[in-house]
Amino acid sequence: MSKPVIEIKNLEKVYEGAVPVHAVNGINLTITEGEFTALKGPSGCGKTTFLNLLGGLDKPTSGSIEIGGVDITTLSENQLIDFRLRNIGFVFQAYNLIPVLSAQENVSFIMLLQDRPKEEREARAKQLLESVGLKGKEGQRPVQLSGGQQQRVAVARALASKPQFVLADEPTANLDSTSTANLLDIMEKLNKEEGMTFVFATHDDRVIKKARRIISIEDGKVLSDE
Amino acid sequence: MIFKVAWRNIWRSKVRSFIVIGSIAVGIWAGLLIIGFSFGMNNERTTSAIGTTIGHAQIHSAAFDVEPLSSATLGDPASVGDLRRSVEELPFVAGTAQRTVLQGMINSAKSARAARIMGVWPEDERLQTTLPMNLVEGDFFEENGRNRLVIGEKLANRLGLKLRSKVVLTFQDAEGTLSRASFRVSGIYKTLNATWDEFHLYVHHEDLEKTLGTLLVHEVLVRFNETVDTDEKAVQLASSLPEGLALKSWKQVNPELGFADDMMAIMLVLVLGIIMMALLFGIINNMLMAILERRRELGMLMAVGMNKRKLFLMILIETLMLGFVGGPIGIVLGDLSTRLMMQIGIDLTSKKDGLAELGVQSIIYPEIVPEYYIIIAIMVVTTALIASILPAVRALKLNPVQAIRGE
Repeated sequence: MSKPVIEIKNLEKVYEGAVPVHAVNGINLTITEGEFTALKGPSGCGKTTFLNLLGGLDKPTSGSIEIGGVDITTLSENQLIDFRLRNIGFVFQAYNLIPVLSAQENVSFIMLLQDRPKEEREARAKQLLESVGLKGKEGQRPVQLSGGQQQRVAVARALASKPQFVLADEPTANLDSTSTANLLDIMEKLNKEEGMTFVFATHDDRVIKKARRIISIEDGKVLSDE
Repeated sequence: MIFKVAWRNIWRSKVRSFIVIGSIAVGIWAGLLIIGFSFGMNNERTTSAIGTTIGHAQIHSAAFDVEPLSSATLGDPASVGDLRRSVEELPFVAGTAQRTVLQGMINSAKSARAARIMGVWPEDERLQTTLPMNLVEGDFFEENGRNRLVIGEKLANRLGLKLRSKVVLTFQDAEGTLSRASFRVSGIYKTLNATWDEFHLYVHHEDLEKTLGTLLVHEVLVRFNETVDTDEKAVQLASSLPEGLALKSWKQVNPELGFADDMMAIMLVLVLGIIMMALLFGIINNMLMAILERRRELGMLMAVGMNKRKLFLMILIETLMLGFVGGPIGIVLGDLSTRLMMQIGIDLTSKKDGLAELGVQSIIYPEIVPEYYIIIAIMVVTTALIASILPAVRALKLNPVQAIRGE
């Protein structure tokens, strides 16, 4: 049996205001190693909030999130930054690559933040770019790459830090169907061959079809878990 | 790689960065020119005053410093000779000259004015001062003749005197008795110090000796090898003097000159400070704009785990790089401009009269002051460091989730 990577207990996030909004309302969930999971739901259902909580980018109102045995809700801001660097890979909707760096440098930069030696950074960045099908594009800057290629660089960057899992927020929202299919194939391959755990927040049916576990969220609650 | 990122980030908005770097360069260029001009003007004024008239230091009896009476002499001629020899033995002393100094009146056919009568040993004056080279008419006691007088052009004009005009000098002898003697103008001088020219006249010490019936020496002028560390040298010289004698450095002899010298250093640092303040706001504005434009990217970096120290460092390096590019350009431009101006001079002939009142020639030759290059370099780095704080703090306060969404 696969070991759990993320264990979520009674997770709540309430935005205070004239009328308090329960963006995440008592979620209990376990995600195990090697999962390829999609969080789906309509806009405003709380999936992005939930993903931010999972990624340690936001603090819950109550509940706990254990990642590799560490309850990240108890970590300080600085501890969270370091935790994210070493345990979580991020893929964003708008790619968010550093425009002044080449594809290889974008991937290496994360490893630089981890203070890894230069030789290791360069070798791993090359190998990761090759694994996402960007061999020969190492020296190109984001502006010279298509949207799909940029998102593949972002996936390589997410894997560069050797995280426990990758969180992807609407990774295909800005891509055409061919680029989406390519990206999903690459992520599926990385999931199957390297056992990397992926969690997507998406409402893209193409992503949902590829997912092996689909969690539907509505009004901040888990509606179904298939 | 953080240096590479910072360097490339500078050139993301080329126009904006060029404007900031250009401002830094122009600010420093202007600062260096002002420094060169100020030093050139002040040093010319100081060097002129020291070389032409007052020397680097003057020795008087302590009583003379309290009230410059005729009786307040340095002693008999033999002791003055001993004093000069002992002073000249000091390694930093180039030479000395002795003078009789009397307060008196000068009467011409047209008018009368108070004056300081300098009884000089012409050979000493020629060796230790440049006044003999500042004659516009006549000579400096080169021709033989009795009761010859060298007078400043400004005083001569006020008294309506020309070469060979006759005047009467009235002064006190050592006992306080008034003496009078006729003199004839044999030379007219003009220094850069109009105030000096209006009050001081020179006669041969022998002519005064004949009128007074005795030789009086009130002043020994001391000239150093160079005009460097004069305060320290004056202190050393003062400590070697016998009791009853007092030493005045050139700053004490001419406090206005000394004050200008001391104030100039403060004023220049203030001017540089003002330039740096202007640059500070320019750099802060540039960096704040850059942070605003790169919110998404900075948010992403914080999300993926760039800690606050590294984020701060990246913005700090970026800001410093603006200074490191603009600073050297400004220093090189300032240096080249100053060197060019040193060759051709800055012509201020239209302000000739006003400058003459200040003891300055109408063409100013700026000077290179290397220590100010170091001061400017330190100020630029400090300015960039200070300028980086606000943008860096703004960046650190970004919420990664909101920043990634571009909110």
